[in-house]
Amino acid sequence: MTHRILIIDDEDDIRQVAAMSLETVAGWDVLLASSGKQGIERASTEQPDAILLDVMMPEMDGPTTLLKLKANGSTSHIPVLLLTAKVQGPDQRKFAELGVAATLFKPFDPLTLARQISAALGWKEGG
Amino acid sequence: MSNRDRISPDENMHPVAGKPSSTEAPEAQSQEQKLQTMISALWDRSRHTVVERAATLRTAGDLLVANRLDEATQLSAVDSAHKLAGVLGTFGLPRGTDLAREAEVLFGQSTPPGKVEIERLQVLLAELTRLIDRGPLGPS
Repeated sequence: MTHRILIIDDEDDIRQVAAMSLETVAGWDVLLASSGKQGIERASTEQPDAILLDVMMPEMDGPTTLLKLKANGSTSHIPVLLLTAKVQGPDQRKFAELGVAATLFKPFDPLTLARQISAALGWKEGG
Repeated sequence: MSNRDRISPDENMHPVAGKPSSTEAPEAQSQEQKLQTMISALWDRSRHTVVERAATLRTAGDLLVANRLDEATQLSAVDSAHKLAGVLGTFGLPRGTDLAREAEVLFGQSTPPGKVEIERLQVLLAELTRLIDRGPLGPS
């Protein structure tokens, strides 16, 4: 089964390498957004199977974007995985309370990213 | 030029680049090889951004040594270090991620770093610059 993943990250190179990874390794379809605002719009209209959301973004950060996604009836059901470069921190519990499905860490391994997402969401496939 | 080369940052749908087709010959590159090739090409295109971020760190480090580091430059250095930490390992430079994380911590301190920390910062920024100059495929 081909999944559709929306990647929301302000960093172009991260979006690109994650998209390459998910498309090439797992054969998934990938949607891109470079800001929280654009991501919310795309999630609402395109209804992806999951969202990979960067934590640190200008203007609207990941947790704020997550809250808006969960408060919107058309996107609240979509599982969200946070992507962060911060390894340690008390933020993890806060993220869980916000309803995040899982937290993944940068740097990620492009060869196993799809597998990590599949494992976190209970999907059977994933490259 | 591949599909991937034509992608713009705000492009809507990502084309499926490198996805194996049903007509692909058995001896075609493995998925892993394809992905590595694509990531290497992406590194070449992204390198200037990485180099600029490393330059921001060096500038901030020089200002720190001269005791002239202003808040805006400090915040810019923390941001650049954070971004480098996130991306370098993904491009195959895990040591670069470690160094950038250390720089993020040193630049992000609320109190000015001491002499030992500043010396450490200079050493790690020099190593980080060498790593980036060499790139992920360079000799170890």
